[in-house]
Amino acid sequence: MGASGSGKSTLMHIMAGLDSATSGRVWLGDTEITRLDDDQLTLLRRRRVGFVFQAFNLVPTLDVLGNIRLPFELDGREPNPDEAARIDRLVQTLGLEERLRHRPHELSGGQQQRVAIARALATQPDLILADEPTGNLDSRTGREVLAVLSAAARDYGQAIAMVTHDPVAASFADRIVFLADGRMVEERGRSSAEQISAIMLGMEAAR
Amino acid sequence: MSAALREHRSSLLVAGLSSAFGVVLLSMIGAIDTAARADAVVGASDTASALLLVAASLFIGIALYVSAVVTANTVATIVAGRTRTIALLRLLGSSARRQRSAVTREGLGVGLIGAALGALAGEALHLLLVLVLRETGVLPPADYPLIAPVALLPVIAVVLTTWAAFRTGSRRVLAVRPMQALGAAVERSGEEVGRRPVRHGIAVVLVALGTLLLGGGVAAGLVSSFGVVIAFFGGILSFTGIVLAADLVMPPLLRLVGRAMARTATGRLAAENAVRSPERSARTTIGLVIGVALVTTFAVGLQSYIDMLARAQANDPAYYAGIDEAFAMTVAVFLVLIGFSAVIAAVGMADALSLSVLQRGRELGLLRALGFSKGQLRRMILAESAQLTVTASAFGVVLGIGYGWAGAQSLFGSIEGGGLVPPGIPWLLVLLVVIGTGALAAIAAVAPTRRAVRVTPIEALAAP
Repeated sequence: MGASGSGKSTLMHIMAGLDSATSGRVWLGDTEITRLDDDQLTLLRRRRVGFVFQAFNLVPTLDVLGNIRLPFELDGREPNPDEAARIDRLVQTLGLEERLRHRPHELSGGQQQRVAIARALATQPDLILADEPTGNLDSRTGREVLAVLSAAARDYGQAIAMVTHDPVAASFADRIVFLADGRMVEERGRSSAEQISAIMLGMEAAR
Repeated sequence: MSAALREHRSSLLVAGLSSAFGVVLLSMIGAIDTAARADAVVGASDTASALLLVAASLFIGIALYVSAVVTANTVATIVAGRTRTIALLRLLGSSARRQRSAVTREGLGVGLIGAALGALAGEALHLLLVLVLRETGVLPPADYPLIAPVALLPVIAVVLTTWAAFRTGSRRVLAVRPMQALGAAVERSGEEVGRRPVRHGIAVVLVALGTLLLGGGVAAGLVSSFGVVIAFFGGILSFTGIVLAADLVMPPLLRLVGRAMARTATGRLAAENAVRSPERSARTTIGLVIGVALVTTFAVGLQSYIDMLARAQANDPAYYAGIDEAFAMTVAVFLVLIGFSAVIAAVGMADALSLSVLQRGRELGLLRALGFSKGQLRRMILAESAQLTVTASAFGVVLGIGYGWAGAQSLFGSIEGGGLVPPGIPWLLVLLVVIGTGALAAIAAVAPTRRAVRVTPIEALAAP
């Protein structure tokens, strides 16, 4: 969490192996991703990382089911029975059963974001990176999406790293890291939106 | 699937046309051969029929080459438009090779469908032509084969070249980075394009080698008609070099022309646009240049041939007494070639232009947001079309005059009383080509411009 320009997105890009670090090393589990070549990073993104974006980023030509199954298709395989059951459960929990044959442009913003979350969760990645996932949503839909994400963390034990500058969104997290001008300046456990706002304002005043 | 078909409409048409062209040409040569055997009076010599076959193969070669360049160009434009989707798939873990081979597979499909449809159309046309020519007595009565097996060769060649053209045109897929899904997808700037020494080095070598071969073909043409084979390869190599260097050569030329024409802020902006995204303007210009060059090549070739024959006839009237019929036949063949090349050229041009306007929704929306009126936007695109037409026409006409003259010299230089003649330039036809290019450029930009203008600035900026 941090103000605009604090380096949140850059950090996320580096964590995902999208951008290369000028110095230092990045680990995902036991894998040092700073040493991986493009092919290995491709496999890493396909199997071990999931993404949820502010702009949803669904493939416009694929329907909802096609988008959710995309990571498997990219892997050149069908979901195995366990994974298929998981996808079914996700579709149900996220309320997408009626929408499986719809294209992204036929869905509301909140529905599109739920599809993106289903896609990210389907492969049980080591880590899901969420970049301002509520940035394009109204506050009620935004809360729903945050509730879905925290339920995934609780029920599936899914690790999620979310980038945001919204204290309410950050209050859903178990651990909050504050960034300012490219540096880590604070770290807290679960906090309320009020506490987080106070920290943010304090950081601003300290400059 | 239907969206993919719409995107590849022009590539399908180009593949179909080349395939039909090849089938008709080879089948008709087969028919003429049958006629010659049936009718001893016509009795073409072996050299003559061998030459006919070589000339036909070269024309098919030219058709295939031009189709390949036009198709590769179109595919590159389509890939540029898909950058964001490709980046997203890369982000989700698709490899660049996989993305490229998906495009290449589309090419195989387009090649197969286009070539098959073209072959059917060509075969129908061939049967119709034989029927009409036999009924009217131009061809003697004989058993003409319904299908010439040799005509299958150009069909296969069309499938392969379309496939190869998709492969070449999709090279840029490899350069798409996953990060591009997160921000605005931008093409490489002029400076970045400038730093492609290997590509541009190869371009220089190809142009030099091609020019050398063209010269060699002209020289050899003074002795034998087979000099045209050398000139053919010279033409292919040199034009490939020009295509490779287009991103370096075209933008400054466009800006030069644009500045000379610009009177208003809109005009000046149009002139700068050409340089801002060199890859896009190079693609669009090449689509026009190859069309103009192709039509001019055949027109100049024909005129040079007419001039040459007129001179030879004046030198030796007795020798050329009965030449009129063969002459009329040659002119007819050339006119067909001009028509065919004009169609392929038009497809390439219209496609490159409309796609390039279509893909600029965001940029045009930004200009609207910054206070450009709809009229100014329209005028800017029109000014771009105008500078594009002038640049591409000038470049294409110069190339076409060179290629057409070299072709005529290398093919006909050895005829009795022939020798070297200056290039014959049918100015009226050249003027028509330039006017036609301008009209086509304007028309091709109309629909996408209207769409771009209708979109509100907010929609345009929000669109991914």
